[in-house]
Amino acid sequence: MTIIEKIFSTASGNEVNPGDYIWADLNLVAMRDFGGPNVIQEYENSYGTQPVFDPTRVAITFDLHIPARNEKVAVNQKTLRDFAKRQGVRLFDIDTGVGQHILIENGLVKPGEIIVGTDSHMNLLGAMGAAGFGMGTTDIAGAMYKGKLWFRVPETIKIEISGRLKEYVGAKDLILYIVKQLTTSGALNKAIEFSGETISAMNMAERITMASMVTEMSGDVGFILPDERVVDFIRSRSGEKIEPVYPDADSAYDKVYEYAVDDLDPQIACPHSPDNVKDVRDVAGTRVDQVFIGSCTNGRYEDLEIAAHFLKNRKIKNGLRLIVVPATMEVAKATLRSGLHEIFLASGAVVTNPGCALCTTGHPGILAPDEVMVSTSNRNFVGKLGKGAKVYLASPATAAATALTGEITDPRSV
Amino acid sequence: MKGRVWKFGDDIDTDQIYPGKYLPLTDKKEMARHAMEGTDRGEEFIKGVKDGDIIVAGKNFGCGSSREHAPVAIRGIGISVVIAESFARIFHRNCVNTGLPILILQETQHLNDGDILEIDVTSGKIMNQTQNKVLKATTLSQLEFQIMRAGGLLAYLRHQNKATKEGL
Ligand code: SF4
Repeated sequence: MTIIEKIFSTASGNEVNPGDYIWADLNLVAMRDFGGPNVIQEYENSYGTQPVFDPTRVAITFDLHIPARNEKVAVNQKTLRDFAKRQGVRLFDIDTGVGQHILIENGLVKPGEIIVGTDSHMNLLGAMGAAGFGMGTTDIAGAMYKGKLWFRVPETIKIEISGRLKEYVGAKDLILYIVKQLTTSGALNKAIEFSGETISAMNMAERITMASMVTEMSGDVGFILPDERVVDFIRSRSGEKIEPVYPDADSAYDKVYEYAVDDLDPQIACPHSPDNVKDVRDVAGTRVDQVFIGSCTNGRYEDLEIAAHFLKNRKIKNGLRLIVVPATMEVAKATLRSGLHEIFLASGAVVTNPGCALCTTGHPGILAPDEVMVSTSNRNFVGKLGKGAKVYLASPATAAATALTGEITDPRSV
Repeated sequence: MKGRVWKFGDDIDTDQIYPGKYLPLTDKKEMARHAMEGTDRGEEFIKGVKDGDIIVAGKNFGCGSSREHAPVAIRGIGISVVIAESFARIFHRNCVNTGLPILILQETQHLNDGDILEIDVTSGKIMNQTQNKVLKATTLSQLEFQIMRAGGLLAYLRHQNKATKEGL
């Protein structure tokens, strides 16, 4: 059986096959400052003041509009704080960061678990071997009430990567390359398992980058098999015994893709689709107004460290804006201790508080029509960051190199 | 159910189905007035659609953000069923959870705009009265029908809890 088949077999109490419809027990139900208030409204419309299925298995994270930027957002956040108090569920307030990362850092994500939440990129929890599903508000309201939800057991696609990435070519370049191959609908209704030597060598930050962009291929969920380092991390954070779920050697896969990546060059997704991917050098020289380094895809310490490597003792291009946002407060504190924060400020960057930041509209830093941004986030649909603006998706290395020159730049050329 | 076909292409995202600027609306009738407004034939659709009409679309219908306004508005404006080659996962779930019937059909090229169809959503039989042809679509699963029949996910779970408490 594949990972998802094993997880669903355990959670439903029956051996499952791809295509089956099942009810599965959930390990954690999460919601955030956007979407969360609608969940609560639906919950209370249907179930009134009845208690949630298990207060220790419900978590609320604030990561989108933090601190509240207008009265409506403030009211929404208050609604969530009040609900958390009433129901005794955990709330991570404005001093924390991107929800999924907060769940990981707090030991709330374990391999083999099923976790649902209101964000479209819940599946980045696959970096820890957990099944994360993004869902609508009705699903989350029902999940919170009953602790279980219905699922179709997906077929699994296996993506096997071999080879060593070149210097300054990283997980983001690799996943952009894979999105290009599979396209934005290539994993529709499917689970993905990433494996192979290239993946095994990846640290947690790189694994998160890979898993987060399963959404861009329309995948249900995506997994990277936890290694010793990941298991140790989860054990230290959760204080619990960890038993990862691994696929059987004779698992049946819907499709197997194999890629050798020794020759991969830096990749970039051009406007307005994450699968419109080219080699960075093919669009090098394109003028850029703003660079964003952060988001759930590339906001870990390791991501910022690569960016700082380029920015150290240098200034960003005059007239270009660079916005750097650590994924979480834990990451932000680490950048403060190690001196990265200082490097960013000295280079001319603006560093804002941890959160989702410029992944979507609603955060300070939106673009004017026709402006161009290079972003380390995961989506570049039309209008996502301002009407008429153009967004390119790239790695922290490419983003930082671009910030130095003011035009799209291969990191190996600066 | 019987109605007229309104045809749409591939990758119709939820922002075309229900533009983001109407997200603050909460009244279902008002929401319904903007169904499909962001598509290239939005205006024509909203003016011409009649109760019972049918949306036929290509691949990945309902992709993009997870807003549930999308199926709620489509149902509200009178659409009886959406037929597509494939649906985005969250949109598919939202349809089941909020009670909008959907069918999956690979050969949507056999359905033309304006055709009159008679559809049995439980068996998946599509009788194209205009072309006098019968097609067979993939239906929802038993489990999904149960949820829809109960009045959506939240009602289904409420009944289930009651049943357990009463020892049924
Ligand atoms: S950074 Fe964007 S995609 Fe990631 S969790 Fe935040 S809003 Fe979602």
